[in-house]
Order: sequence, then C-alpha cells, then structure tokens
Amino acid sequence: MTITKEEYPTPENEIASWEQDLDRVGFVRRALRARKWYGADWWFVAISMVMVAGFLIIAFFPDPFAPFGPNEIVGSSFLAPGETPPVPVLIVPQDSPVEELQDLAVPVGSERPAIAVEQGLPTSVALREQAQIIDDQLKDDPEELRLRVRIERYNTLEETLQAVVDEEVHAAVVQSTDFEVVKSQFPTLRASESIMGDTATAGGFLLGTNEIGQDVFSRLIWGAQVALLIGFSASIIALVIGVPLGLIASFVGGSLDRYLSLLMDSLYAFPGLILAIAITAILGPSIFNIIVAIAVVYIPTYYRIVRGQTFSVKAEVYVEAARSIGARRTEILRRYIFPNVIPSVAIIFSVNVADAILTGAGLSFLGLGLPPTIADWGIDLARGQRFIQTAWWMITFPGIAIMLVVLAFTLMGEGLMEIFNPKLRDR
Amino acid sequence: MPKDILYSVKNLTVEYKTRAGPVRAVDDVSFDIYRGEILGLVGESGCGKSTLGKAMMRLHTGPAEITGGELWFDERDLMTLSDREMTDLRGAEIGMVFQDPMTSLNPVQRIMEHLTETIQTHEPETSDADAESRAEELVERLGIRRERLSEYPHQMSGGMRQRVMISLALALNSKLVIADEPTTSLDVIVEYQFLDLLHELRDEFGLTIVLITHNIGVVAEIADRLAVMYAGKIVEIGDCFGCFGDPKHPYTQGLLRSVPNIKLDGEELYKMEGAPPNLLRPPSGCRFHPRCPFVMDICRTEEPAFKLVEGGDQITACWLYQETPVGPELSRA
Amino acid sequence: MSPIAIIALIIGIPALIGLIYILITGSTGLRRFVITRIGLTLPMVFILATLVFFIMRVLPGDPVTSALGPKGTPEIIERIREQLGLNDPILVQYGNFLKDMITLNFGNSLTGGHRPIVDEMSERFPATLELVIPASFLALSLGVIGGAWAASRRKRATDYGMRVYSVVIYSLPIFWLGLMLQLLFGVWLNWLPISGRIDPVIGTTLDRTTNIYTIDSIISGNWLALGSTLAHLVLPTVTLGLILSGVFVRLTRINVIETQHADYISAARARGIRERVLTYKHALKNAMIPVITLIGLQVAILLAGAVLTETVFSWPGMGRYLVERISSRDYTAVQSGIAVFALLVAVISLAVDIIYSLVDPRVRY
Repeated sequence: MTITKEEYPTPENEIASWEQDLDRVGFVRRALRARKWYGADWWFVAISMVMVAGFLIIAFFPDPFAPFGPNEIVGSSFLAPGETPPVPVLIVPQDSPVEELQDLAVPVGSERPAIAVEQGLPTSVALREQAQIIDDQLKDDPEELRLRVRIERYNTLEETLQAVVDEEVHAAVVQSTDFEVVKSQFPTLRASESIMGDTATAGGFLLGTNEIGQDVFSRLIWGAQVALLIGFSASIIALVIGVPLGLIASFVGGSLDRYLSLLMDSLYAFPGLILAIAITAILGPSIFNIIVAIAVVYIPTYYRIVRGQTFSVKAEVYVEAARSIGARRTEILRRYIFPNVIPSVAIIFSVNVADAILTGAGLSFLGLGLPPTIADWGIDLARGQRFIQTAWWMITFPGIAIMLVVLAFTLMGEGLMEIFNPKLRDR
Repeated sequence: MPKDILYSVKNLTVEYKTRAGPVRAVDDVSFDIYRGEILGLVGESGCGKSTLGKAMMRLHTGPAEITGGELWFDERDLMTLSDREMTDLRGAEIGMVFQDPMTSLNPVQRIMEHLTETIQTHEPETSDADAESRAEELVERLGIRRERLSEYPHQMSGGMRQRVMISLALALNSKLVIADEPTTSLDVIVEYQFLDLLHELRDEFGLTIVLITHNIGVVAEIADRLAVMYAGKIVEIGDCFGCFGDPKHPYTQGLLRSVPNIKLDGEELYKMEGAPPNLLRPPSGCRFHPRCPFVMDICRTEEPAFKLVEGGDQITACWLYQETPVGPELSRA
Repeated sequence: MSPIAIIALIIGIPALIGLIYILITGSTGLRRFVITRIGLTLPMVFILATLVFFIMRVLPGDPVTSALGPKGTPEIIERIREQLGLNDPILVQYGNFLKDMITLNFGNSLTGGHRPIVDEMSERFPATLELVIPASFLALSLGVIGGAWAASRRKRATDYGMRVYSVVIYSLPIFWLGLMLQLLFGVWLNWLPISGRIDPVIGTTLDRTTNIYTIDSIISGNWLALGSTLAHLVLPTVTLGLILSGVFVRLTRINVIETQHADYISAARARGIRERVLTYKHALKNAMIPVITLIGLQVAILLAGAVLTETVFSWPGMGRYLVERISSRDYTAVQSGIAVFALLVAVISLAVDIIYSLVDPRVRY
C-alpha cells in the first residue's frame, strides 16, 4: 500500500523542494533517476535501445562499415575468416637474383622474359595485368627497360615448375598455396613475393568469403537494410490497418464486431509463416510482396490488442462516470482510451518488428521472395546450408546478425512492458 | 509478563520503499494485547492499521519492511525467529482472517483441502482420514454443514466463506486471531452473525482477537478495548466504555462525532477539518496538529509521548494531558 | 489401413469418448460451452478454407501452365483445366471445392508424378506428428518448470537469467539454431545424423503401418530401426522444442507472478504454508489456467517452426511438403495442404479450450 501524493492534498509548503524539482526536471534526468528504481529492467531497455540505434545507423549508412559492396566478388571462394587468400607468386631458381616481377625487365631489343603459368587458371590474367602495369610505369624510365613478358602455358602445375628448373623459362607464376603443396618436389626453386604488390586483402577477410567469393562481413552489413525495410514497413502497415479496425470494432460493436473478430481470430490462429508463404507464392517474389504478406499476418495482432484494451477501458467505471457528465465519444477516445492503448501498441510494435524480421528471414531462407541481387541474411543462410561441411562461417554469422537485431527489438519491448505495466512493477 | 499479556508490540516501525523515498506506515508504535480480549484497532483508510496487522505476523511482502521494534508474543520476540520458525508459527499460534473471503480462498481447491492442507502442514503425522474428520468437526462448530466441505469457494455465499476463513485460522487452535476488515465485504445481517460468532469463540475458547476495521460501530458491538490509529501512530488506547464515553484525544473525539446519529434532528453531519497527511513528509510535532481544534504552540514542534492520562484509564499521546516542557532547553525529546 | 485412418482413430476415439463424458456429466454451463466452441470451430475452418480457395484463384497467370512448364501443349493444358474444372464459373468451383474438402477428396498432384494427394499427405503427416509431439512435450516441460522457477526467485539472478534465456531463445531464428546444431553435433562432433528420418539402408527393413517410425519399429520389433529413428529425431526435436520453450517460460513466469500476488496466496502464507508449496502448487496450478488457453495459440508457432525445422533437416513432413509444392506451383496440393493445416489448428484449439474448461472448476459448476 503506497500513499501517493495525489491521494492526499497537502499544503504547498509541505511538498519537499526536491520533489518539486523532480517533477520539473526534463525527461532525460528522470530517465536516469529511474535507473535506481527500475533496476535491471532499466538496463534491459537501455542496452536494447543502444543496440537498436546501432542497427538503424548501420542500416541507413552501410558504407562506412562495409568494406565492400553487397555483390562484389572480392576474392576466392570459401575463405575462412581471416584466412589469407592465395596470391600469385613468382617462382624462380634458388640462386636467382630476381625478387619481384619488375626485376625481369630487360632493355629494349633483348630477349623477352618467358614466364610459365598453369593452363586455365586466373594466374595468367593476373600476370598479364601486373606486367602491363609495370610496363606502363617503365615507359618513363630513362634506363629504357621494358617488361614485355612472353607467357608460356603448361598443362599441369608440375610441368609449369619443371620448366623453370629446366630453364625453359625465366620464371613461373603460380598460386602461393599451390606452391606450398609441391614445394618439396622442387628444392631448387623458391617463391618470391606476390606479384600483385600491395593488396588490400593481405590480412584476409574478417568473416571469410562465401561460395562465389563475396565478403561475408560486407553482406552482413548490407543485409541490415533489407531486414530493416521489411521489418518496419510490414509492422507499420499492419499497425495502420489493425489499430483503426480494432477501435472501430470496439466502438461500433454489434455484428460488425462479431464478424470482424471471427475473421481476425481465424487469421491469428493460423501459423503466420505459412500464411506469409502462401501469399508470397501467389503474389510472386519481390520485396513489396513480402512486406504485404508479413503485414497481413500481423494485422490481427494489433486488432486484438486494441480491441481488447478499448473494451476493458470502456468498461471501467471512470469512463462510465465521464459519459454520465456528458463527455462526447471523441473526448472519451482521446482522454481515456488513447493513453491506455498507446503504451500497449508501442510495446507490440517493438516486438512486432522483431517478429517481422524473423519471418522475413524465414521466408528468404525458404527461397521465396527476394531477387538474388539483394543481400539478405536469410538467403545467405540458405546458401550456406549447402556447404555446411566445409564453410561453417557462411551459416554462423548471418544467423548471429539476425539474432542480435531481433534480440534488440524484443528486449526493448520486454523492458517497456515491465515499465509500463504497473502491476508487475511495484511488486 | 504482567497481567497476562499475550502480545506486546514495542516500538514497531514499518517502512515502505517508494520511488520518492521511504514512507513510515507504522511509526514507533507500542501497545499490549491481553489474553482473551477483543481489541478493536480503528482508523481511517491509509492510517497504517492493515500494515500493523500484517506486521504482527511478519506477513508483509514487497516494498514493506519492518525497520525497527520488537514483537513479543508469548515470551518470544518474533523478530528473532527464523523464517522457518515464523512459518511454523503462522496458522498454528497466530491466525489471520482477511477482508475478502472470495479472493482469499484458492478457487481451484476444495474447502476440505484448504483445511486438511493446513492441518497436515503443521502436523505432518496426521493421516488424511484424521485430518478430514478434524476439519469436519471444526466447521460444524462454526455452523457449516460437513457436506459442504467438498465444494469449491465460488459455490458458497459470502458469509459462509468468511466462516471458512475463521475455521482456517482456528484449525490448529491458534491463541491469537487478527481479523483485517473481516466484515467490510459482508452485508449487515451477515456481519451481525459473524460478530456474534467471534464473540462466542472468545467466550468459549478464550481466543484473543485483534479486530482491525474502519467501522466504529463494529468495534462498539464486540470489542473490549479500543486502539485508535492516525498517520502511522496510535493516538489513543483504552477500555471501550472509557473511550466512547470520554474520548481524550481530539482525533478520537472527532471520529466519534463523525458517526451519524440516527436521531439526526436536523443536525448537520460533522466533518473533521483537513485530511490525513502525506506520510512522506509528515507534519512536525504532533501529526494531528494541522487539524486539531485545540492546537497549541507546543503541538507544532514537539511530539507528545504516549502516556497514561492522569486520573484516567486511557493511554493517549496528546499535550492536553501532559505537562508541556517549559523553555527551550527542555525541548529535546 | 491407410496411415491417416489409423491416426484419425488413435486421436478420434479418445476425443469422442471425452466429449461424450463431458456432455453427459458436465453441468449445463459446461455443455453449452463445449457445444458453442465446437460450433465456432466450423466457421473458422470454413473461413480459412474459403480464403485459401479465393486466394489461389486470384493468382495471376495460369497455374496449370506454370505447373506443367514446357511440357504443356495447349491441348494438354486445356484438357487438364477441364479436368480440374477450372473453366467452370467460380461459384460452381467453390461448391465443388467445399464438397471435395468435406469428403477429403483432394485430387491428384499436378506435378511430381500425379499421385493422389491423400497418399502423399498420409506419408508426410505422420512425419510431422512424430516431430511435433515430442517437441511440444519438451517445450512445455522446460517452459513451465523454468517459468515457475524464475517466478519463485523474483528479482534475483535466476529470474533475470530465465528472462534473458526466453528472450534470447525467442530471438533465435529457428532455422539458424537447427543449422548450428547440425554443425556442432553432425559435422564437428559427428555424433548425430543431420537429415532425414531414418538411415536409408535401415529404412528399407522397416514395415510401415502407421508411418510413425518409432511406433512402427516397436511394433515390428525392429530395434535397429528404432535406434536409427531416435537418433534422427534428436536434433530436429531439440531445435523445435527449445525455441518453443522460450515462449512457455515467459508465459508461465508472468502468470505465476501475477498469481503470486493473489489474496489467497497471502492467506495461505498466513496459515503457515511453505513458500515452495505456495509457488509450485498453489500459484502454478492457478497460473496454468491462462497458460492453457494460450497453449492453443502456440500451435501456430509450433507449426510455423515445424515448417522451417523440416526444411533444415530435410524432414519429409507436411511443412516441407507445403513449401515444395508452393515452389512448383502445385495448385491442388497447396490448396489441400493449407486446408489440412487450418483444420489441424482449429481442432487443436478446440481441444485446448475443452481441456481448459475441465481444469477450471469455475467453468464447470
């Protein structure tokens, strides 16, 4: 039993000055002072709000965070997190003075350097490109050295390297990893540095690459956009449709209320995901259709909550009292019903966004709905499942991303609920 | 303990932790309860009487906490007992009857089970059959037919449920029963029967009863002594006849005058000035001073002691009956 | 006997007996309640089925064409459309649809061999049951005990721990949890299989009567099959059950906390009943009443989770069936599948409501 100030009117001078200050103080201060009172729940809300803010920032401004674009192919496939991608290196005899590609430059008119590569690999492309770059740089060189390589192709890795041993060529260019494997067979050869010079990916990719060589981490960042878009749009649409319907139904009552409620209850009881699957399948794959599908699933939630709350508020004695002194319907709506309903709706919205993101991810996981050029966590998980034996990072990180975002919104809703619900609070 | 005191409360303070600070719902209260008496504890809503009643069994939960004092029951200070010992004591030596019998009974449990569970919790060796027969005897003595024991609470009338509550409180022959607003939810006729029943129980079994209520009429009916609470303190305690005939404390006087007299004779209804204070910042000195028609300067600054009135039977806390300290050097309490 | 018939009997006979019992012994109030609820179920199924029907016909593009793909010449397409009655006026189609639904005449699948849909479903449905029932038990036991435990230690470490647990579990995408479990137990530790219901070789030795492999293997004494089935059952069941338990922990906790503040709990405490008894017996029993009503709603989550779990673990159940059929635009199969789901949901919520009325004596008398 707490005795609140409102119950007993007290003379002005008896209210403590600090109490008066507390009321006048801004929201922020009150929120901070609330920390002591609400205890751990305050932390729940605070942490989750920070997380939500972080997520929103990442979603709106992915560029500072993502090293690469969502569909950019940045390296070889299936690179583990932090694994250095294999780079093409120059293979020369042990005693050769050649350290890098540039060292093979010769004066104009001399024999062009021959370099062996394995047939069919991208190393030849890399070689040609690098040689061209170096050659262009040398054009301005007064010493008149040029690098015009002659590329000799061999069928296998061993033949390629053997050519160097047999001095058929001046050097070979192979992948560093390939050379590591067969190094022991060619004790007279050594690998110089990478012919690529300075690579931005020397340190490997933070979370690895997927099956076609895209950076997992970048796709995580970019995926936030889709998740946010779907989550918020679907929830907002559902709210905009569901809340007014709920209010109307509870105000008008009668058969409208009965039939509408029956429809809504049936929809609500039906598994949302399956409904969303059906709608998406019918309407076809596109982001808009996914949003619509998820929105339809959640309309009944808002409807029920608003309707239930409105009913219970309407039945309260104070509303009856207000009506008896002539308050109009709109006034009752505004003063009594709204303030009671809005906190619930806010909480539902927060949890709703979380749920919508989950459902959206589920839908794309099942392969329904998104065009393949969009980076999305669900699709990444589906793709990763095929390679679960080899590339564990493909399924781990997108899932963690989903979990963190959903967690943030859910925590926020949970915390808000504890704070707004006085019965649970004061005990 | 002299004069057969069953329960002695000494300097009890119960605080509620609220967002704006601690509130002392019961502030330094001391009084005695004699064996075999019916003590009425009256006061307005929010004066702390329910809190006091619960605190006497250390039954409080949540934000309330006993922050000081001793509770001497039958030569033991309850404040020193462990949780387990306290649990054993509840229901066996001290019982409680609550205000709303409908919500105080478990809706999914039959009445019989309420009783047998209580019996078997305190006396685990009792067999089911024994417990049941004891339960049957018990309720029959209280006027409930034994066939009704197999019913659920919602199948009974209000008055019957309240009898069940008493039987639960007495299941193990408690010495003290604290009744917290037991008749507030009953209509007048049932209330009368209930009070009659309490009286019988006291006469027949020597039961000691503390009757907490805001209804003075109820107290007048059956109580031996009266204790008046205001703003967390007891302001007057004494024999009923004495209090009703010659109330000492101005608050008691006001309280009694507020009771509408059926022979109104065109008199206006009396209303006390002001309202009970905010216990966050209680008034200085005597808490009643803002409303007291006999207020003196000393009342605003010094709190009066709780003392026996000279030449009277009541104990009261009012400067009207005490020697006021003279001079500033004596105003240290 | 077809598996569907067997299952219908296993569920139907006790249900019928229970229903008769209620109608005979229950008070008028209860009787009226039960009959009303049954009466409400029909419109619910009706509405859902109608929704399915009209939605599928609003489909842009011709389903038969997209289902047949390049194999469909105009003549064949026309013939099949006639066969399916797709050229009839919509009301006639609707009438036939309802008639078919009632008689369980689902027709044949448009793709994948044109088998009768009933046969296809009677293979998948028991698979889903075998997954969903143990998962529900797991979720309920974990959830109720966890929730009650959290409520008994309010505002202490356990309470917050349980709340964090339920929130985290709720936020986990179920398909991700499944994948992680597959990774850990299937790939890295190699303790458990990660797809299918049973080892394919062992599977050939199993006599399928009910199509619930655990039951079938016990009936035929095929212990090898039983072992393989159980091993395959572990990961999917744990996945589904764990996720669902989060919901139940939360529900139970909140309801027990609410109940703990009831007057009768204080009154019982005043009689010296011990705290633990108060929480686990008195409060929990009363708290379960609202929880039971909400269990019915969790069925929706359960089925949605089943769809995803089945996809992750390649479990050949109704969920995966539905997804496959939608992807291949198999019109009739999708229609029937959703209708079956709707019926399932309606029946389960009806059953839950009836159980609720049995548990709460206030409704009974």
